[in-house]
Amino acid sequence: MTLRKTLLRGLLPVSAVLLAVVAASLLLGAGDVGPARAAAVLLGGADGDADARFTVLELRLPRTAVAVAVGAALGVAGAVLQATARNPLAEPGLLGVSAGASFAVVLAIVLGASATTVGPYAAVLGAAAGCLLALGAARLRGAGDDPVRLVLAGAAFSGMVGAASSVLLLVNQRASDEIRFWTVGSVVGRGTDDLMAVLPVLLLGLAAAAAVSPALSSLALGDDVATGLGHRPRRVRAVAVTSVALLVGGATAVAGPVAFVGLVVPFAARALVGPDLRRLLGVSVLLGPAVVLLADVVSRLVVRPYEMPLGVMTALFGAPVLVAVVRSSRLPSL
Amino acid sequence: MKTPLEPRSGASAGDGPAGALVPPPVPPPRGPGRVREAGTTAVDAAPPGTFRLAAGGLSLLVPRRPLLAGVLLATVLVAVGAVGLSVGEIAVAPLDALRAAVLGEGSPRDLLVVEELRMPRVEAGIAVGAALGAAGCLMQTLSGNRLATPDTVGLNNGATAFAVAGIVAVPTGLLPSATALVGAATAAALTLALSGGAGQRGYRFLVVGLGVGAVFGAVTNLILSRAEIDAANAAFAWTVGTLNGRSQTAVTVLEAGLLVCLPPAVVLGHRLGALRFSDAVATSLGVRVRPVRAAVLLTSVVCAGLAVAVAGPLGMIALAAPEAARRLTGPGPVPVVTSALAGAVLTLLADLVGRTAMAPLEIPVGLVTAVVGGPYLLWLLLTTRTRRTP
Repeated sequence: MTLRKTLLRGLLPVSAVLLAVVAASLLLGAGDVGPARAAAVLLGGADGDADARFTVLELRLPRTAVAVAVGAALGVAGAVLQATARNPLAEPGLLGVSAGASFAVVLAIVLGASATTVGPYAAVLGAAAGCLLALGAARLRGAGDDPVRLVLAGAAFSGMVGAASSVLLLVNQRASDEIRFWTVGSVVGRGTDDLMAVLPVLLLGLAAAAAVSPALSSLALGDDVATGLGHRPRRVRAVAVTSVALLVGGATAVAGPVAFVGLVVPFAARALVGPDLRRLLGVSVLLGPAVVLLADVVSRLVVRPYEMPLGVMTALFGAPVLVAVVRSSRLPSL
Repeated sequence: MKTPLEPRSGASAGDGPAGALVPPPVPPPRGPGRVREAGTTAVDAAPPGTFRLAAGGLSLLVPRRPLLAGVLLATVLVAVGAVGLSVGEIAVAPLDALRAAVLGEGSPRDLLVVEELRMPRVEAGIAVGAALGAAGCLMQTLSGNRLATPDTVGLNNGATAFAVAGIVAVPTGLLPSATALVGAATAAALTLALSGGAGQRGYRFLVVGLGVGAVFGAVTNLILSRAEIDAANAAFAWTVGTLNGRSQTAVTVLEAGLLVCLPPAVVLGHRLGALRFSDAVATSLGVRVRPVRAAVLLTSVVCAGLAVAVAGPLGMIALAAPEAARRLTGPGPVPVVTSALAGAVLTLLADLVGRTAMAPLEIPVGLVTAVVGGPYLLWLLLTTRTRRTP
């Protein structure tokens, strides 16, 4: 596929969708400020409407930014993890990477740390632990050959760690109040501060992913061929895992565990531009935000005036995709 | 073309070489020539490893090891139950507790604590554990995969979603048991339909179940996020699985369901044994595969659905109990009753741990089973050799 085709079939439509969803995210909400008033604020004509100004500029704008960052991180992390594990079902949420990150954050808060300052680093460490565990499990005898079994192992790990988090929260009521909504995955009420705290982590993760992608695609040919092409497989994998840990840890620190985004986004991107990892990453970095924002907008609208946690919405979108991937007679090989 | 799957043989016996053929239990010998008085001579005449009970023209072979395992588990169950009745804010000596529970004798204080407060909970634990153990055993045998249990194929989540919907979102006036049953059946039907049948495609069945479970879990969360905060607090139990303050009606319905479901499952015993082989072998052994499959599936769905209606999505019991039962009984008939007993023991133990580990704070039993059972499930997954999924 040529660069021009990639642009036409992947980047352009996805960018258009992303722009549309960003607009929708700024214009629509669960509260009283309707699209017309929000549009007036955005076009600069609503100086008298303090209510609408506050809602759009102080609530919806930061929230949209957070969702964009989280979506980009999770989409790219999914693509990188799938290439590293050579498993089309490898998804940070399914493999327990998100669960590891959120457990680390819960542990840090229970031990007395503040969610905003220490959270991101604890989450990155937890994500790294979850990632290594999943990939280690994949390399155990036999398990790595079977994409589906790895997912089951990840689900078992997630369930275990999630229950451990619940026990910690049960013991510590203060922590529980602080992050009750965070544990189901949500971007409600996340502000610029939260975003700024994780932005360096996310940017570092994105840079690592971009840097390692050419080498990672050679690894798909097998370790021997990759070595012959001048790559060092162990180091490439280490960088890839680090990038996934940074991305998922950062995203989880700000939005809680959001599952299935890392599955849906590379799956759709592969359908658009084919299996080449670099193109895949390029599309995923735009498609991820679009998917997360779409889920967020829908989650604001379906149960008005309440809001639904983002993680619930992505599960509703994503689980059918999981079933479809597993049902397809031949899993796409990586 | 069908590829033989390793998990199928994994379900056949807890120990022994994988794939070893297990002889189906010999049907009881009949006919006037073989009738003898029950006694030493009759035991001598029975095949090795079995007792023979005879009365008039009928006789019954009772395998020895499962019988011993059952007696052992029942003893342990009584012991754990007694400890469960005696431990708590107000300590009661275990023997006094048993006496109060069974005979209704003892000091008024003991009677109040044991009969009014703790007995319903122990009763609920036994019923839920037994139902989950039996359901897990049936489903594992049915799908030929020891990881296929009501919780891994999304059945628990389906039942929970429907039960919560019936309580919180669309108050129907129906018992949660009824809605949970509908949910369990829906989830089972969805998983089976989407994966193209249990046991045909190995782990694929389980991941489809995982997806179906995730959707239903999300639906539960969606309903809870709409609910008022008080209702949502009451609904917390529905997200983890607990035995605290369960509906007595649901427990009664569950017990009735167990009474209805378990005897047929036991009678179906040796047909179930044949289901562990391929369909062709089972057919040639004289088992009509489809009706037996349907009956077994129905039984396990009913057991799991009713249990979830009592305690919420309590995981891992249905996975671990049949495994323990198989270790105890060895190769032979499908250990439905032993699994039920093992499930009851495990549930009571987990609840005891949850009540005492961080007293006075109580950890819901579902969290205990998840934390303890998770590593076990991982170990099962990572140590079982399989071929690649076809």
